[in-house]
Amino acid sequence: MIGDPRSLVTAQIELRDVGKRYETVSGPVLAVEQVSLKVRRQEFLTLLGPSGCGKSTLLGMIGGLVAPDAGQVLIDGEPSTGPNPRKVAMVFQDPGLFPWRTALDNVGFGLELQGVGGARRREVALGLLEPMGLRGFERKYPRELSGGMRQRVAIARALALDTPILLMDEPFGALDEQTRLLMGEWLVGIRRRTQKTIVFVTHSLQEAIALSDRIAVMTSRPGRIKDLFEVPLPYPRDLNSPEVTDLRAKLWDQIREESLRAMEGAP
Amino acid sequence: MKVLALRAAVLLGLLGVWEVVAAPLNPILYVAPSAIPGALLRVFRVGELPPLPEHVWLTLREIAAAYALAVSAGLWLGFVLGLQKTLGRIYEPILAALYAIPSVVWYPSLMLFFGLGPASKIAFGLLLGFFPVALSVLAGIRQVDRHLITVAVSMGAGPGAIFLKVALPAMSATLVGGLRAGLALSVVGVLVGEILGSRAGIGYLINYAYGLFMTAEYAGLVVLVGAAVLALDGAAGLLEARVRRWAS
Repeated sequence: MIGDPRSLVTAQIELRDVGKRYETVSGPVLAVEQVSLKVRRQEFLTLLGPSGCGKSTLLGMIGGLVAPDAGQVLIDGEPSTGPNPRKVAMVFQDPGLFPWRTALDNVGFGLELQGVGGARRREVALGLLEPMGLRGFERKYPRELSGGMRQRVAIARALALDTPILLMDEPFGALDEQTRLLMGEWLVGIRRRTQKTIVFVTHSLQEAIALSDRIAVMTSRPGRIKDLFEVPLPYPRDLNSPEVTDLRAKLWDQIREESLRAMEGAP
Repeated sequence: MKVLALRAAVLLGLLGVWEVVAAPLNPILYVAPSAIPGALLRVFRVGELPPLPEHVWLTLREIAAAYALAVSAGLWLGFVLGLQKTLGRIYEPILAALYAIPSVVWYPSLMLFFGLGPASKIAFGLLLGFFPVALSVLAGIRQVDRHLITVAVSMGAGPGAIFLKVALPAMSATLVGGLRAGLALSVVGVLVGEILGSRAGIGYLINYAYGLFMTAEYAGLVVLVGAAVLALDGAAGLLEARVRRWAS
């Protein structure tokens, strides 16, 4: 990972003093304020924080779905002006599969938008679905799939775009604990194979520690980056090892305060 | 299958009871089912009635014209009001209120405007068929899941792709339901128009037979219309089931 000298020099994603406010009925809310962050090439960075801390807003900015009111988002050194499906793919907490499309056609959606032909789309989709344990489910509609399967199809749909950057907004948040752990292990495998730069949003300490190279702890409203932690541990990680226990305690210290603030300040 | 067999048995039973009850009564007021096939044949073989095929053909053309206009106008207005939030807020309640008024009250004015010919029937079929189509477009647009649009935008979809690949399929089930209801109402509009005042068409024929106490012929025509409408609606139902295959 550090073998490529460019990865040390150029950040793949750079946020420069970005800010975002939303107008609500009870007045403007500052969701994100003065956030600066660099994500290295092929890094797995997690944004960790309590609900409503602007994690998703920040991720939306990187994905080009949310325009910052202040500051700039740079992808590979170039200012981002909107969704860029050649470079950035997104996965959301709600898989958002198109219910009228089979698993196969859902995975092919992004390529269809790019004008890729049917045979090629099929080939790509089958190649992605099979190693995800979805062989035999290609022709199923989303309602016929379990929650974990749906999210895997959604991830396959994002991977089909073959972008260097993958953004994941609490992708396993709606799944049960066991499925969640398995999906985490599985994501580590995907990451090893595809070498993508991944920005992952979660409020789970456990998930952040199991998956990330680096964890950015965010403050609650307005969202800022409070602290950054490196996690220099090999995969698969033993979540009961002394290093992990120690890191979890440190993270918890940081996040406890913010969660309390978020609870008190919750409207 | 068992349900179908039972349903057929119930129908046959009802016909049997009807036959037995009608047999000793005045055939002008009470038509026995057994008299209907013969009467239908008489209607076909140009008897005292004007020839049937021409009337059927005219009515079909009126329905086709009325429905085509209802669908065009309904889709157009539905999308204009559905996609323009402000316009929608202004006009949708008005539309719903107009729909609630029993449409037959408009018919006399349509006859004044369009006369006794096919135009007034087409106008009435259009009026009746238009509302379900327009309202289903409005309901369908509201049903489109915003999150699916976000997902599509994140993958680079522009307005055209969002409309064709997200909004339209997402609302297709509701839309097809509205198109089906609109078709049924367009048929009703044209037939009622013909019965209330015309010089040609199936409705006119029904009125004519009824007016001359040709009750068996009248009943035969009703059965004929019923069968045609059932077949039409059955075909529409199959189409609807196909469109919603992913949902059930």
